[in-house]
Amino acid sequence: MAVSTIIEPAAVRTHAAAGWARKAPFALFWLLVAAILLLPILLFLMVAFSPRLFDQGPQWFSLSGFQGAFQGPMLQGILDTLLIGAVSALASAAVGFAVAWVVQRTRVPGRRLWSGSMFALLLVPSYLIALGWERLLEPDGVLDLLHVPDSFARSLLFGPVGVIGVLTVKGIPFAYLAILAGLRGLGEEFEAAVRVHGGGKVDVARTVIALLAPAIWSSLAIVFAESISDFGVASTLANDAHFPVATFELYNAVDNFPVQFPVAAAVGWLLLAMAGIALLAQNAALRGRSYRVLGGRTRPARRRELSRPATSGVFVGMFVLLLLSLGVPTFGALSASLITGLGTLEGGAAFSLSNYQRALTSPELYQPLLYSALLATITATVVVLLGLVVARMLTSRRGRTSARMLDLLLLTAVALPGIVFAAGYIFTYNLPLTNDLGIHLYETTTLLVLGYIATALPPASRVLFGSVGQVQESLREAARVHGSNAPASWLRVMMPLLARPLLSAWSLTFGATLLELPVSQLLYPPNDPTVSVGIEKALSNYDYGGGTAMEVLAVLAALAVIGLVWGIFQLVAPAGWRRLGRTS
Amino acid sequence: MRTLRSSAADSLPDLGGHRVTFTGAGKRYGAVRALAGVDLEVEAGRFLVLLGPSGSGKTTLVRALAGIERLDEGEIHVGSRLVSGPGKHVPPERRDLAMVFQDYALWPHLTALGNVGYALRRRKLAVDQAKTRSLEALERVGLEGLATRYPHELSGGQQQRVALARAIVAKPGLLLFDEPLSNLDTDLRERLRVEIATLTRQCGATAVYITHDQAEAFALADVIGVLDQGRLVQLADPETLYHKPATPFVARFTGLSGELAGTVVGRDTDEFFIVEVGPWRLRTRSAHALKAGDQVRVLIRPAATAFAAADAESSASVGVVEGTVIDVAYRGRGYDHVIACGESTLTSVFSPRPWGRGVQAKLSLDAEGCIAFPLNAQGEISYDEEVTTVMAGQSAATSNRGVTE
Repeated sequence: MAVSTIIEPAAVRTHAAAGWARKAPFALFWLLVAAILLLPILLFLMVAFSPRLFDQGPQWFSLSGFQGAFQGPMLQGILDTLLIGAVSALASAAVGFAVAWVVQRTRVPGRRLWSGSMFALLLVPSYLIALGWERLLEPDGVLDLLHVPDSFARSLLFGPVGVIGVLTVKGIPFAYLAILAGLRGLGEEFEAAVRVHGGGKVDVARTVIALLAPAIWSSLAIVFAESISDFGVASTLANDAHFPVATFELYNAVDNFPVQFPVAAAVGWLLLAMAGIALLAQNAALRGRSYRVLGGRTRPARRRELSRPATSGVFVGMFVLLLLSLGVPTFGALSASLITGLGTLEGGAAFSLSNYQRALTSPELYQPLLYSALLATITATVVVLLGLVVARMLTSRRGRTSARMLDLLLLTAVALPGIVFAAGYIFTYNLPLTNDLGIHLYETTTLLVLGYIATALPPASRVLFGSVGQVQESLREAARVHGSNAPASWLRVMMPLLARPLLSAWSLTFGATLLELPVSQLLYPPNDPTVSVGIEKALSNYDYGGGTAMEVLAVLAALAVIGLVWGIFQLVAPAGWRRLGRTS
Repeated sequence: MRTLRSSAADSLPDLGGHRVTFTGAGKRYGAVRALAGVDLEVEAGRFLVLLGPSGSGKTTLVRALAGIERLDEGEIHVGSRLVSGPGKHVPPERRDLAMVFQDYALWPHLTALGNVGYALRRRKLAVDQAKTRSLEALERVGLEGLATRYPHELSGGQQQRVALARAIVAKPGLLLFDEPLSNLDTDLRERLRVEIATLTRQCGATAVYITHDQAEAFALADVIGVLDQGRLVQLADPETLYHKPATPFVARFTGLSGELAGTVVGRDTDEFFIVEVGPWRLRTRSAHALKAGDQVRVLIRPAATAFAAADAESSASVGVVEGTVIDVAYRGRGYDHVIACGESTLTSVFSPRPWGRGVQAKLSLDAEGCIAFPLNAQGEISYDEEVTTVMAGQSAATSNRGVTE
């Protein structure tokens, strides 16, 4: 049998057409990624060097944006940002280490509560924590009304200590999670080896800290990057305390007249550079050393029974931490929302539910919540679907180059402050060129949603990446060879397996988008403020009661929707879906 | 191009599976050529085992047959239907096949019954009927009591049985097995191998099974295809493959005791030659046209070796060699020995009683298990592009000529 494979020209054309049909969705996907992630950031950052290119000045190449960034309050803001980044990173790493140790290595009661509170802290936006503290300690605030002397605490809160404190609290869960992962993989044999060779408790601690260096450095880098890019504290507590920080100065440069895009872009570059330096420092500290402590023969460490006084001390310490990080802000927000006339000079403040009544009946107060809830639902749904595609591309055996490019882009986007994103959007979609192309998105809900999607997609993809990567390819292949077409194999096999991670990603994105501040602040359509902008507006109009009632309602709404979604899943999903990922 | 059928293959009844044909199947992964133009034909209802080392292309070949991978070149026919070719790719779900995966690929959100029943969706049966068929399939693999268990509640062997039930329940015309026993312990492997052989033949489907274990291949196959570097090196029934390997690679991959270098003295009978190996003379088989003075490498099967009586005259007798015992290992039914013969070593030399280390011993080598290849055939095999097609069922002597040295 002679083998001859003669391919007809028509067949070649069909083959080529089929090839293009397969590639078209990927091309469309990359176009979307370019439109929402790559171009806005790239064009915005380019204006720092070439104002003329975008009609922002007379020079084709200039460093005047950087000159502007290195003088006056802008320079002060950058230096303050460096300071708060460094201090809050160190403080968060120290506290996060302690909490991780207590949760992972001791038998102190309440470990689930401590662990759960870390996740709660992770979900609460920084501006809500800051606002809770402010309502308590501001002049004529809750403590003043309760006749509690608070002048010293107030002077601390409205200054660097307060800003660093809130950012430290916000950074603790990041450090906790990074170090907990390291501690989990660290077997007890390393500690035993120190003890049997004559080392004491201090030597054990020193060895453990040295072995956990990657986790500690990682937590330092994450908290530093989170703190310098924070906008929530910058626009509330830091602004009220007249403590300039870089992100708020960038916002001012874009939002106030005259608009200074080159300066804002230069600050964007500096923020990126700071995050980059933190990562480089992490790499330099760990280079040339091996920390491979986890192996198949690793013996899990045992929990320690602390002495009674030590247990009591640790318990009290954890309780105080929980009180300061979540309890006080919650109390501040709740109590403020229940007081009528808070913050006004008219006097006659009294406890009542009238703020809630107003928040639920006044369109100014409830419309933003409904609007944000709608946008958060759309964003979370789109982000989860796109995130699934991204995670699939990153874990696929095909297209390694494009996957690497996408991975790099997403990692950069994770490190990019939300305010830089938003500024990039304002800049790009307000360019004359964009208008000439028939794209009129500036000041529209569409642009706001695109901004939300762009900021939420990188973290959601990272969340889904792990889960999608865990699903063996053979499961979907088995569905194909046993009779399902491609969409059916996704629906019947992949969806059940990924239902929980997808719901988690949806919940995280929904919660984060509902309460999102930096993108909302810069991109909200003039007549449609989002809930975070509505809260800020109410507070800036000294309607503290209405603003905090909105805050409480927004948080409750987020929890209710997420609870509802999970409740429906528990009720409707088949038993097999619910069993996956459950521990016995 | 020669097309021959082995008498063993011809004697098998056609049970209604699909005939499978690969024509010039080629596939690349970047710079790596996974399949280099494979031509192969499997008769309907036959059990083909593809044997080869890691990276030989056997998995790619089966995945291309399943429709999970797309060929870069060549064609695949299932029955008379073209399922893969230039501009044509029939998706897996429309190829009327089922597959047992190496990692079982059981869906963790479905029970054993759910997993098995999934494969019946394409048959569009009524719910009751589908359930009955699924339970029957589970019963056939001995898991009738475990239908409501989820995969993680089953042992490895039970999981593989569920995968087997899922494969046979819809009575497909083609069954594919991707190293299904490689994750199991020895005892379970043997039991499941018997079950696979029995169930597959009962359901009448054509089976394509891949493995790198030659014992498994010999035990299961009607026909074995040996793959190396993306090429089909030999396709023959197990007996032919064992006694008349086409290349040194095939011989080595299907089990050798050792190799001895020598010179051809002359032809003995039809396909047997006398070869001088050091001070000894051996009678060996060869499919090559050897002549006196040719340098050859004699490849010796373990079954061809035996300890000879101490008074056997090794220099005078043909087929007797001498060596020193350098290792002995107890194997339950007896002892395997390693013998140093001159510069070469023969392993797996069996004896019911142990021979001590350092003892001088004489070995008799059965000509049936001694295969001579010209010395230049030990390295790279050159493939004649025009004659790389090997057909299942070709008689050994001719199929050996499918590869040219």
